[in-house]
Amino acid sequence: MKQKDPLNIIITGVGGQGNFLLSQLIGNVLVRSGYHATIGETYGASQRGGAVVSNLRVSKEAQYGPLIAQGQADVVLGLEPMETLRVLAQYGNPQVVVVTNSRPIYPAAVSTGWGSYPTPEQIASLVKELSRKAWLVDATDIALEMGAPILANIIMMGALVGTGMLPLGPESFERELAESLKRDRLDINIKAFRRGLALVGDAA
Amino acid sequence: MSPEIKGCQQLRAEVIDRDLCSLCGACVGMCPYLVAYKGRVVALDDCNVSQGRCYAFCPRTATDLDLVSDAVFGASYDPSPVGRAKEVMMARAADEGIRSRVGDGGAVSALVSFALEQGIIDSVVLTDSSDDNPGGVLLREPRRVIDYARSKNIVAPILAAFNREAGKDEAQKIGVVTLPCQALALAKMRASPLENRNNIDKLALVVGLFCRFLRRECVVCLDLTGEFADISVGVEGLPDWNILIIRSSRGQELVDAARARGVIEVEALSEENLDRLREASLRKRKTGLGNIAKVTGSEDDLLYVVLATEARKKLVAGQ
Amino acid sequence: MANVATFEPGSAQLLMGNEAIARGALEAGIGFAAAYPGTPSSEIIGTLAEVAKEAGIYVEWSVNEKVALEAATAASFAGVRAIVAMKQNGLNVALDFLMGITLTGTNAGLVLVTCDDPGALSSTEEEDSRPVAKWGSFPLLEPATFQEEKDMTRWAFELSEELKTIVIVRSVTRTSHARGDVRIGERLSPNREAKFVETQGLQYTTYFVGPKHELAYQKISKAAEIFETSPFNSYVGPEKPGLLIVASGTGWFYSREAVQTLDVEDTVGILKLGTTWPLPEKLVREHLARSDKVLVVEEIDPFLEGNLKELVGEDPAAVGAVKFYGKRSGHIPHVGENNPDLVTKAISGILGIEYVPVQPDYANKARSLTAGVVHSRVPGFCAGCPHRATFWAVKNALRMDGRGGFVAGDIGCYTMAIGPTGFWQIKMASAMGSSAGMACGFGNLSQFGFKQPVLAVCGDSTFFHAIIPALVSGVYNKANFTLLVVDNSATAMTGFQPHPGTGSTATGDVTPTIDIEAVCRSIGAKVEVTDPFDLKDTTDKLLDLMEDEGGVKVLIAKRECALVIGKKQKAAYTMRVDAERCIGEDCGCARICTRVFQCPGLIWDVENGIAGIDEVICTGCGVCADVCPAGAIIREAAQ
Repeated sequence: MKQKDPLNIIITGVGGQGNFLLSQLIGNVLVRSGYHATIGETYGASQRGGAVVSNLRVSKEAQYGPLIAQGQADVVLGLEPMETLRVLAQYGNPQVVVVTNSRPIYPAAVSTGWGSYPTPEQIASLVKELSRKAWLVDATDIALEMGAPILANIIMMGALVGTGMLPLGPESFERELAESLKRDRLDINIKAFRRGLALVGDAA
Repeated sequence: MSPEIKGCQQLRAEVIDRDLCSLCGACVGMCPYLVAYKGRVVALDDCNVSQGRCYAFCPRTATDLDLVSDAVFGASYDPSPVGRAKEVMMARAADEGIRSRVGDGGAVSALVSFALEQGIIDSVVLTDSSDDNPGGVLLREPRRVIDYARSKNIVAPILAAFNREAGKDEAQKIGVVTLPCQALALAKMRASPLENRNNIDKLALVVGLFCRFLRRECVVCLDLTGEFADISVGVEGLPDWNILIIRSSRGQELVDAARARGVIEVEALSEENLDRLREASLRKRKTGLGNIAKVTGSEDDLLYVVLATEARKKLVAGQ
Repeated sequence: MANVATFEPGSAQLLMGNEAIARGALEAGIGFAAAYPGTPSSEIIGTLAEVAKEAGIYVEWSVNEKVALEAATAASFAGVRAIVAMKQNGLNVALDFLMGITLTGTNAGLVLVTCDDPGALSSTEEEDSRPVAKWGSFPLLEPATFQEEKDMTRWAFELSEELKTIVIVRSVTRTSHARGDVRIGERLSPNREAKFVETQGLQYTTYFVGPKHELAYQKISKAAEIFETSPFNSYVGPEKPGLLIVASGTGWFYSREAVQTLDVEDTVGILKLGTTWPLPEKLVREHLARSDKVLVVEEIDPFLEGNLKELVGEDPAAVGAVKFYGKRSGHIPHVGENNPDLVTKAISGILGIEYVPVQPDYANKARSLTAGVVHSRVPGFCAGCPHRATFWAVKNALRMDGRGGFVAGDIGCYTMAIGPTGFWQIKMASAMGSSAGMACGFGNLSQFGFKQPVLAVCGDSTFFHAIIPALVSGVYNKANFTLLVVDNSATAMTGFQPHPGTGSTATGDVTPTIDIEAVCRSIGAKVEVTDPFDLKDTTDKLLDLMEDEGGVKVLIAKRECALVIGKKQKAAYTMRVDAERCIGEDCGCARICTRVFQCPGLIWDVENGIAGIDEVICTGCGVCADVCPAGAIIREAAQ
């Protein structure tokens, strides 16, 4: 399949989940391999429990702006399920590919009783309805099982790479992890990356 | 059928924000939303419960006097000027030391310490006005009761202390020395149809004090003598003696035992003095009814008082 | 942040716009950098601070932007190239001194980077910094790409030295905080012979004002000439486009993408302007003459648009009839930040082209399916944040006090107490230090019947920035108010930069802490200290201080920020909910923990009707145990 150019990836989650470290990791891999990458981010107040979105633009030809236009997401990587749905409502389209974490972070609106959080079944059905191909990944649960909730992001990165939507394969990413992480953390992160990879087959 | 029970929002709208709160404290100490501070009941946040104890127990929300009287006395409301009474007499502490310390007959101090000594109650809630934030104090030692006696009445939200104590597993038999509105609130707890009865069965004795209007918010009160207490005690211009009204059987038992032990002395109350007491009570009722009519805008709307027709007529007519 | 000092020249690096600016400054051989943290500018000096020792430069967090600009200007006077960075509000603080530079001029290159926040994503207002350039006669550069963030910053120092004045570089959130690949250049070394020398009398004063003001205008004319041939201005498109877009800053990326999306490369030309004050008049007139329709795409105010119209007005014949579109016409919204969709919509509106961004079926389906299940996520205090506890006590104390007391707020994480996370306690908050300033006013209205207790709330970093003079004014003028300093030992909202109370400098050197309590006492306020996690003590102290009518009182609520503590040590407590004891929605509770207190570590199990702890989010601070009326939240010392 001809690689889409620019490739628009949205990574979405809640402040404090490590969204930006993840988009940076991915961006670095791409730039090292000679791609133009632009990542649009929101800092500051949004980090305090607000929704946090990275707009990642990947291109061989030119550098693109930091904001993706409505309905133009090619891939949505959701670190939190409600945020995945929120992004799909604005940036989704019939061709979009979605990988989303399944674990909710309840907004105040839900814990104060204003509204209820969608059930896992609702989330799964909505995500599938609004995408060409979708995967729900229990990244946080796997991360907890592996010993640290923050590993969820690396698991999600593995899953993203596993979709085959990125122009680079797993080796490039594992090389990046080896360069940017300390020796004592590398092993567990590679394991987490490969767990994510395994959860998602190659996209058609 | 008992009047409708609403929630905290309505309590605030109907009573507190309309300056009708008598500061009895019945709504305080049962939850984190209502607290009492320096003469006010304060809502710290908005509670959204639709039926709450605060509303149910408040003596200024709709109160069916027959239902309440039935819960306390096993009989319907008696609209006589001094309320339901088995006996009305003069009484005083036998110990002259108590009388001189208190400054009147000292009957309350004597009876309450006696009740503690005998184990009729294991704790008592009294009014503590020692600083600028009066509240309820809980005592277990009979000797300390007299420290809180004084002739002048102070309004403090003492039922908050009852609520807190009743919630503890160790508490068994609690006594309370009350003003009329506080006695009515305790009676509403006993009569309440709510599932959560606030451990009211631990209430073992209510000693009511007579009361004339003490605060601006009191002006809608109709009760001079504390009609819903087990016994009511007042100072009515008789030097060295109190007037004692026995209302309930447990009140009767307490007084009989105290007399037998020589803790209190009693004498008959003259008809003249009894009449004077009745007139004082009727005067308060008349004033109260007049103020109620000012609040409701109608002589037919008795605000918080719900009563069967016959008794209501008698109450209003002042017989 | 990246180690911008050691990148290989010629390599491509993925850099945040602010990091690119920092690299540009290093490539220009700066020796001195100063700033006060402010989103979206903080990473500029933050990045330089991380490499300062290695790069042999001096970097500091100044106590506020005015001092930062003054310090940087001093370096310039002494022959050392200097950079100062701030957000739009910081520019307001530095403005008095900045206006003096118009007349004093500079010596070594001096660059002021101002980062605006269109849409106020992390600010209390959206404000366009650019007019200050016209106002004070300073050259203004607007980077459009990450490469330009670096290259313009580097060039700005040369420009500054040629003209002997400060150069303003204006960035915005979407360029400062976005990342893109940047090709790295060579680094120059800083001047290592700093010296203050006058080459003529009164050189560094503003005197004599007349001649120096004239000189300032001449510098601007010279700049306009230089800009005529700047590589930062360029045109792409047909000879005679049906529509000419004039774009600066983010407008460049958005316009280019919009033209691509609409497939109108043959009809629409884009003039990219990187030097937006003064305008290179010949160049601009030449391009404006291409078309009778001009759309101006810029962030926040129609500054560029207004200047273009002025230019046209000075010689209408030179350009011919032109109709302008942009913020004035409403084709680009007056308020909020720009994005590619807005530009696409504007172009299609002007040219009469229909454009549908998303397949309508999908769009409708997506909206209706997600409408009931996607709820707004309002930012709030983190789990374990001491501010939540503080404002809980504030709310209770104000209600108990009952005299209609209220809170004047300030700028920091605690500003969020304007909303539900702080129980709606803060009633006003705009400029740094204004909490105490306003309290000085409220606190001297008693002769007009004013009886409400006033609480001014500020953070520890804000205290040093701007509160101290207001506190002095309050004590001196015998105002009656209570200053509540929420001291979490951090400049938290902007990213935990150190400040005079935290004991270390921007470059990690240990330095004596300046004790807030001691400062307040020496000013003459009555001071108390409390731990916000001790809800009762904080409430009692607030009540006492509010009742004290005698002048200025200070309550310092001291407890470290949860995010800082979380990195340093393990949680103090393990929290759990005893399902038997939880009374949930019943009378006596009404879900006070999740419905009212709203810590994100607390969740409501709808199915079972009990509260629970989210073990991933809970930080084990233990405060909720004191909020629960039933003792159902169990707090156990962590192993």
